[in-house]
Amino acid sequence: MKDPIRKRFWRELRDDAGKYIALFLFLTLTIGFVSGFMVADGSMLRAYNESFENYHIEDGHFTAAAPLEDAALDTLEQETGATLYPLFSIDRETDNAHTVRFYRQRTEVNRVCLMDGAFPARDGEICIDRLYAQNNELSIGDTMAVSGRDYTISGVVAFSDYSALFNNNTDMMFDANKFTVALVTDADFDALGELGKRFTYAWTDPDAGNTDKERRDRADALLGAIAGHAVLTDFVPRDQNFAINFSGDDMGSDRVMFATLLYIMMVILGFVFAVTTRGTIEQEASTIGTLKASGYTNGELLRHYLALPTVVTLVAAVIGNILGYTCMKRIVVFMYYHSYSLPTYRTIWNGSAFLLTTVIPVLIIFVLNLLVISRALRFSPLDFLRHELTRRKSSDVVRLRRGSFLSRFRMRVVLQNLSGYLTLFVGVVFVSVLLVFGMMFRPLMNHFKADVVSSMIAQYQYVLKTPVETADADAERYSVQELEYDGWEKITVYGVQEGSRYVPGVRAGEVVLSDGYMEKYGIRTGDTLKLSDPYDGKDYSFRVGGAYHYPAAMSVFLSEEDFNRTFDREPGSFNGWFSNRELTDLPEEAIATRITQSDLTVMADQLDDSMGFMFPLFCGFGFVIYVLMIYLLAKMIIDRNARSISMLKIMGYHDGEAGLLYNRATALVTAISLLLAIPLTVLLIKWIYYAMMKEYAGWLTFYVAPWVYPVSFAFGAFGFALVTLLLMRRVRHIPLSVALKTLE
Amino acid sequence: MLLQLRDIRKSFGAGESRTEVLKGISCDIPSGCFCVLLGPSGSGKSTLLNIIGGIETPDSGHIFIGGQALGLMSEKELALYRRRHLGYVFQSYNLIPNLTVRENVEVGAYLSEHPLPVDELLQSLGLWEHRNKIPAQLSGGQQQRTAIGRALVKKPSVLLCDEPTGALDYATSKEILQLIEHVNETYHCTVVLVTHNDALRGMADEVIRLKDGAIREYVRQLTKYRAAALNW
Repeated sequence: MKDPIRKRFWRELRDDAGKYIALFLFLTLTIGFVSGFMVADGSMLRAYNESFENYHIEDGHFTAAAPLEDAALDTLEQETGATLYPLFSIDRETDNAHTVRFYRQRTEVNRVCLMDGAFPARDGEICIDRLYAQNNELSIGDTMAVSGRDYTISGVVAFSDYSALFNNNTDMMFDANKFTVALVTDADFDALGELGKRFTYAWTDPDAGNTDKERRDRADALLGAIAGHAVLTDFVPRDQNFAINFSGDDMGSDRVMFATLLYIMMVILGFVFAVTTRGTIEQEASTIGTLKASGYTNGELLRHYLALPTVVTLVAAVIGNILGYTCMKRIVVFMYYHSYSLPTYRTIWNGSAFLLTTVIPVLIIFVLNLLVISRALRFSPLDFLRHELTRRKSSDVVRLRRGSFLSRFRMRVVLQNLSGYLTLFVGVVFVSVLLVFGMMFRPLMNHFKADVVSSMIAQYQYVLKTPVETADADAERYSVQELEYDGWEKITVYGVQEGSRYVPGVRAGEVVLSDGYMEKYGIRTGDTLKLSDPYDGKDYSFRVGGAYHYPAAMSVFLSEEDFNRTFDREPGSFNGWFSNRELTDLPEEAIATRITQSDLTVMADQLDDSMGFMFPLFCGFGFVIYVLMIYLLAKMIIDRNARSISMLKIMGYHDGEAGLLYNRATALVTAISLLLAIPLTVLLIKWIYYAMMKEYAGWLTFYVAPWVYPVSFAFGAFGFALVTLLLMRRVRHIPLSVALKTLE
Repeated sequence: MLLQLRDIRKSFGAGESRTEVLKGISCDIPSGCFCVLLGPSGSGKSTLLNIIGGIETPDSGHIFIGGQALGLMSEKELALYRRRHLGYVFQSYNLIPNLTVRENVEVGAYLSEHPLPVDELLQSLGLWEHRNKIPAQLSGGQQQRTAIGRALVKKPSVLLCDEPTGALDYATSKEILQLIEHVNETYHCTVVLVTHNDALRGMADEVIRLKDGAIREYVRQLTKYRAAALNW
């Protein structure tokens, strides 16, 4: 025989429909959105990864000062084993000074994905990048004037070698607003003339290798071979090509943020489930006592009270996942297509998304409820029959002598519902975390950007391809090298002159770390720092001598002498300049990168761009969850005291008076909770932030704008006012007869 | 099932506020016996019932039920003992409010491997017409009948009733007592009924009167009256 009390489930759902619908919707939407993100992210990442094969993406490219003869190409191919493909291009400007990079149709390498319309079939037709078209509100059939000639847009495309629209590989950020790649017919390409034509050749290499070191050695060998046949103006192996790699590196990096959000939400919702179920257990104490006295085991009752939260979560997880694979996925795909020029994708089953959005949420809610409910059921049958469900004895009654009758009454309400109010406090802390999390990021990023700009090493920082001197006395040379920490985090290692004006405090025999680096990994002065070079497999150890305020990057500063000795460089060698003035005498071809303010804030910009819209959502979600939680907990207190409220009404109290006696106690506890939650929230947020940011490359200094806390409090107060209105309605509906009924 | 109680002692509180509720109770309640535990409020009768029911433990003394010592049982064994052998009826009916009458009785049936047929029981309890109602739609007497049905359906060897008529009017109380009497006679289960109503002693095989935690009267009655004949 099946346990007959399971028949209560539907009735429970129906009787407490408001609570279950609200919790169900929250669960479904949260799981749906995160599942949608994971599925879209996984599918698009797969499409991106597969694009290397599907669109035959190059292993690298070089640009020669002049086109190579066929014979030279043949020789090069024979010498190197690589296959070379001409990919000539010409940059022209539109009337509004946007850059259009023209190509012929590609059939062999770096093939193009047609997203809509048709490839150019006739002269005067052009295919442009889909994202550029979207950003500039250009549609198929529109006319586009480039360099004095009108083209008709026949289609929008995604170039497989331009998933992020970097104009130059030395740019620190892509620009899909003012730069596009374009396809035209051969005749139209020839008609553009020779002026500014780039003689670029892509290569594919069957022996490119699998490891960083193998690829780098192979690229070096190719570079040596090619240099013997051509004057090179550019040489970019694939793993250094931002236009190809940037979007792939970005995809997947936000998973941590979404997973964090999901788990915070699950803990809050699990908590609400558990506490309200505990309220039900308290209300049903006599029945539970009777059942226990009749032989019902704790396990049977535990299973009964656990079933609804678990089943509701499971159903929400399943529906959330269905939504995730359908409509929610589209929102996330839209986000990606809004940032990158990615090819078409196919939705794929994502096992890790299933685990993260179904198994773990159900487990979180199950375990939370298991802990709370099993604790609530630990009392003996007699305790339940006598409604003695606290460990406090009747002799422990707190004496209240001070204050008016009303304030003592309210204090009694607080003492009577101490466990409920403790729960409310914990809930308020969780929700404050969500609210503060949502509000803190934009000020954090603005603060970070301002800090980065004010702490730049120099107004101008040049990274050189080859060492060249400058006559500017303000400039100071440096060397730079990239190493890895912990096997993945890229660390920029600088060798600076002793007594440097730009990076003071660097002494021989020890290294100075950027403070963000130390903060992120908890490194202290006196520690030994171990870094490795992924290309040659060498490990390096340094003694940490202190921190340098440089939030822009994860950096290590050595003296020039130490740098050269460590990396086997010739004394006096260098590959960069710091200067507070622009260095006009450096030849352009010698400059690899100019680092500017916007380059240093690129991480914050990128995070803002991809996640910025999420922060208000966090706040909104947090606020609604807060209102729901306070409502359910305060309602539990009202329900528990329905008889007393009814009795007060019989005695002549107005609805408002009777309700306020209880609601004001809740208001008082809520206000105190909101205030006490602040320091705890800071600790929790900091802990979550550090854990989260460790998954990202780089570091954004932790900062919570001072206004965030009062605003969070104000949100709380406003939310409580809303809840009070709802509860007063509930109090009005408690009939006088409740006090006269036999307690069931 | 024979119930044997030997020198049962129980006190509550500590220090000055310590109150001895049971002061060495010893008695035997034979199998199939209808035993009435009489006494004023605070005499310890409910505590004694709860000790028999295994939901309260004595400070000292022993209880043997069918030869088994209750004090030696673990929590799990106690739950199993209650599940197999005991039926409980309280003054407040403690029904599950969102289950129907039939379903509330099924809650008891679930605990037994060989329960009584629920529908037949509902008929005999006079609840057949009300089987699809929830407790809030029933009178006090009907609710108590349902509670008795829930206790009875699992064929308990011992039925423990704690002031089962305490919340009912005279006529309904009589009905309930008749029902308990019928249960005792029909199913041969031992009944221990706690009451402060002296008039109920007439229907008992055995009367135990408690006062201040001690037995003041312990009689086996050779003649007893039908519940219907009782007046108070």
